Amino acid sequence: MLEVKNAKMMYGELVAVDHLSFSLQPGAIFGLLGTNGAGKTTTFRMIMGLIEPTEGEVLLDGHPISYADVNEIGYMIEERSLLTKITVKELMLYFGQLKDMEPELILERLDYWLKRFDIVDYKNKKIKELSKGNQQKIQFIAALINNPRLLVLDEPFSGLDPINTELFVEVIRDFQKKGAMVVFSSHQLDHVEAFCEEVIVLEKGKAIIEGKLVDIKKEYKKHKIRIIGDIDIEQLKKIPGVYDIDQNLIETIVRIENEAVSKAVFDYIKTCHHIIKYDVEQASLSEIFIAKVGRRHEEV
Amino acid sequence: MKKFRFLVKYGLLKRIKRKAFLISNILVFILLTVIINIPAIISAFGSDDSVTSISIIVYNETSEATLASDLSDRLNVGLTTDFYIISEESHAFDVDGFWEDEDSDIALIFESTSLIDVYNKYPEYNQHLSSQIELLLIDYEIPGYQSPTIMPNYAPDYEDPEQSAMVGSLSSLLVLPLFILITMATQFVGVDIIEEKSTKAIETIIASVPAKTHFLSKITAAISFVAIQGGLIVLYGFIATLLFGSSTGTTSEFGDTANLLAYLGAYLPNWQWLLVISLVFMIVGTLFYLTFSAMFASMAVTQEDYQQFQTPIMMTLLSGFYIAIFSGMAGGELILKIATFIPIFTPIVAPVAFASGALSIGEALIALAVMILVLIGSLYVVSPVYRVAILNYDQTKFGKRIKGYFKKAFHKHNK
Repeated sequence: MLEVKNAKMMYGELVAVDHLSFSLQPGAIFGLLGTNGAGKTTTFRMIMGLIEPTEGEVLLDGHPISYADVNEIGYMIEERSLLTKITVKELMLYFGQLKDMEPELILERLDYWLKRFDIVDYKNKKIKELSKGNQQKIQFIAALINNPRLLVLDEPFSGLDPINTELFVEVIRDFQKKGAMVVFSSHQLDHVEAFCEEVIVLEKGKAIIEGKLVDIKKEYKKHKIRIIGDIDIEQLKKIPGVYDIDQNLIETIVRIENEAVSKAVFDYIKTCHHIIKYDVEQASLSEIFIAKVGRRHEEV
Repeated sequence: MKKFRFLVKYGLLKRIKRKAFLISNILVFILLTVIINIPAIISAFGSDDSVTSISIIVYNETSEATLASDLSDRLNVGLTTDFYIISEESHAFDVDGFWEDEDSDIALIFESTSLIDVYNKYPEYNQHLSSQIELLLIDYEIPGYQSPTIMPNYAPDYEDPEQSAMVGSLSSLLVLPLFILITMATQFVGVDIIEEKSTKAIETIIASVPAKTHFLSKITAAISFVAIQGGLIVLYGFIATLLFGSSTGTTSEFGDTANLLAYLGAYLPNWQWLLVISLVFMIVGTLFYLTFSAMFASMAVTQEDYQQFQTPIMMTLLSGFYIAIFSGMAGGELILKIATFIPIFTPIVAPVAFASGALSIGEALIALAVMILVLIGSLYVVSPVYRVAILNYDQTKFGKRIKGYFKKAFHKHNK
């Protein structure tokens, strides 16, 4: 079990992480979200034991995390973190042996992962000769090669196409099934929504949203209604509790203050003709994120 | 410990397996063979400005009337140089006049058959002169003859060319390899660290091994490489000596084997101590420089950045190099001695100071003790700074960055 207890990290006068707490059971996937500079990387570094919290502690199975645990941890940083002048095989042998792995085992696992990621031909190619996407795969393999029980992934899907993103998601889910703990950050909130049970949203080092995703959505009262049909937007605007309406070529999205407003909207819709779709949805994580952080999602 | 050993082995093999290592070693071997055998090579090609004719004035105050002509016959046996007795004088010898006189090269003053003064503008012939004079006097079978006292006298501005050559050669032989090896090692450790840092691979590496282990492993790999390379250079030296010494069998006019090592060996009766001291200073000094090279590399972010950061190290090394070379040649014993006790110059200057006699064995050991203490202190100071800097990508100005990292390193919240 991973526990981050009241962790605070200060760089001089700057509070990078402010009394952050969360825990993670085996087989759980945890999402750490936030804008750039919110404190995600600092939190990852504290989890990895690369920096010691100014206050609080990070525990793995009840003891402070240390270099004695690193052989069971896989870490992938947001940026490229590869030695570009050596081959894929040499790099894996280097990184793997830093996790106390035997060369034979490293090569055996490397062959498996290269095959799974469909890049077998690149085994003896230099890293600098690979495309950005393939370099990302190699970096991901480097984090997985020691078969970790704690996987710390900082923006694992960054720069990946949808097919490879799906491949990464499958692998992460496999590790989850095997009982590994996964902590990851992503700017692509749809991925977080797709596989995280719990999340924390950081803003200037503070947790502004935290808990189970289901509860967060439930607590966030605002809903949206998707409508396809002939409707009068001016009439909708007059309904108390309707605070925003977006209309595109296909549908109209009506945002309401709470679920109860949907009844009044539905009463109006019943008076309209040719209604094809009427669907009440909870707000997405992205919408909650934007609303709470107070910025446009694109800036994240 | 296992990871430390792995990192050292990895760093070492990375250097040794490179083609550059093989090529540079071949070049070093050729270069050493040439340098060590310079005297043999010069003598093999001959010398255009060698003296072929020596003019001698004999002041004969003895009763042996044929002394000058008999000596002339004897001197011209066994050497390629011609000796001419140009005059035989009986008046008092004018020392100052002789040194200024361009027509005469040697003045022999036979005050008696047992006391002979030799004034010689070419002292390299003194031994030949002495032996032939002695044999001549034996031939005379003088009653009550005692072995003569032959007193060589040198010109007021005379400098022993062998002594000068020895000091010059010694400075080059000692300082150059030291300078090259230390520079090479500091470059290697710096380039290795900055390569890992600039590619951000350092994040993955430091996530697996503590920064302190990484720091010490880099230094150990570099010093091991230097030790191997240094050992190879010594080996090449011996091979080159054996190779030419046995194949040419060249000897100088004075009977020594004509290579630089034998040449220097004759002037350095304490060469065993010198070798040990040089090696110890090389190891301790390289470690000292590596410590700071690693620190500066950890503070740099890009390759270009590192070029700027390594400048102070290169300037210090160059200063030490010039102090050792020029003080040794110019006879600046005091400068050598002072520089020996300044830790940043000690590794390069101390062996030369000891070899030239500016430093006693006791003083050398004190300098070594000071150097070791400074090294240990440096490791204690640099290690926490390295830990802070290695995962930091601050790109502020040189001085500000150094100050910032030192401040963070010794802040109570940092590990």
